[in-house]
Amino acid sequence: MHCEMILDEYRERRQEFEQIKNVVIDTLRQRLENNHIVVAGLEGRVKTEKSLTGKLELKGYKYRILDDITDIIGVRIITFFSDEVDVISALVERIFEIDWENSVDKRKMLEIDRFGYMSLHYICRIPASLCTDPTIPQLNTTRFELQIRSALQHVWANMQHDTGYKSDVEVPVEHQRSLNRLAGILELADEQFSRIRKEINDYRRNVQSLVANGNFNEVPLNGDTFRSYCEHKPFKRLADKIATINQAELYEDSLMPYYNVLVHMGMKTIGDVERMRLDYRDSAYQLALIQLAGTGLDIVAYSVTLQNLCIVKILKDGFGEAGLIRMFAALYGESSYNAPRAQRIYQQAQKINLI
Amino acid sequence: MNVNISNQEGKTIVRLDGRLDTSNVEQFQQDIAPLMQGEKPNIEIDCTGMTYTSSQGLRMFLMMQKSVMSRGGKMVMIHMNPQVKEVFDITGFSNIIAIL
Repeated sequence: MHCEMILDEYRERRQEFEQIKNVVIDTLRQRLENNHIVVAGLEGRVKTEKSLTGKLELKGYKYRILDDITDIIGVRIITFFSDEVDVISALVERIFEIDWENSVDKRKMLEIDRFGYMSLHYICRIPASLCTDPTIPQLNTTRFELQIRSALQHVWANMQHDTGYKSDVEVPVEHQRSLNRLAGILELADEQFSRIRKEINDYRRNVQSLVANGNFNEVPLNGDTFRSYCEHKPFKRLADKIATINQAELYEDSLMPYYNVLVHMGMKTIGDVERMRLDYRDSAYQLALIQLAGTGLDIVAYSVTLQNLCIVKILKDGFGEAGLIRMFAALYGESSYNAPRAQRIYQQAQKINLI
Repeated sequence: MNVNISNQEGKTIVRLDGRLDTSNVEQFQQDIAPLMQGEKPNIEIDCTGMTYTSSQGLRMFLMMQKSVMSRGGKMVMIHMNPQVKEVFDITGFSNIIAIL
């Protein structure tokens, strides 16, 4: 009989639960964004009547009123890395009022010889200091469940759920060992992903420091290092000088498309790129001068600097029109425009005694 | 400058004829205004008949490109004559706008 009353109250408040769930998700989305935290997923649901009925049939004796059931509203944050769970949990604790008595860190419940479902479950309320809404009377009193888990923990939970068993103790013993093995692999993979990410971040910081200190010869040329190098605007003075030819506006486009060209040209370190800049900046400017002077074109792209530096180096190294055609193919793909352009530039280079 | 806009197989074709310069850039902006809305536009600018573009024209193409990209679409310029292509090359705009 009391279960019927609980279900009646649920039906009455169904709409309100949806509203509270939306407030929780909007708040989390906003705070994650403000803290520059990218997550794999943020999802929420209000328990269906069918699911609630099932729960009451099984464990109805445990609940006196609807508010005793803490997972009517469920929200889940899925992180990419397991070590982000703690970062987000700290954020959650600052945002919501936590019902510590009913919150569980399942990661700490596992014994050293056990593998399985690991997730952080908070039971929370929206504090009045965060928001109030007279149209949602129980906004600040209704509890909701908030789960935080990594993507691989999420995979594990879904896969285990698919077996049809609610908990690992119910799984037939002959399959338990297989499931444990799989859980161990996922846990190991989670740890490895976090470790690899840390190593990559350490590497990037080291590269940024080497670039900032001008130790270019020690920095191998790759997409990451080239990006770091470009962030220091190494071609800015040349770009400004080229822009003055027609008192032009400088449009700051990306230099990243030139990474492939530099690799094609055989450059191995950022030091090679820097040497090209120092050795050929005057010639690159001369090339821009013969091309732009008198045209009245008063907008130029920043990338024209690296474009002209590469052109000059290719010609100075004796690769001629064929080398230019290869450069344009690396940039734009094979095209009927490439050969005439190479020919035109070659003639201009001859005029200013570049070759 | 004549601007002719048509639709073919889910693609918007913008056919340009003549010179694009200060004298007609405002008109060009009005002509292409309808293309600056909607999701995932697929625009092909046919430059077969375009004989020249000034810096103002380059700025217009840049604005179009930014607008198209921000809406998850794509824009290519095709059949550019050598004189017009040179303007894109020496300003570095060939690095910004896809030219086929």
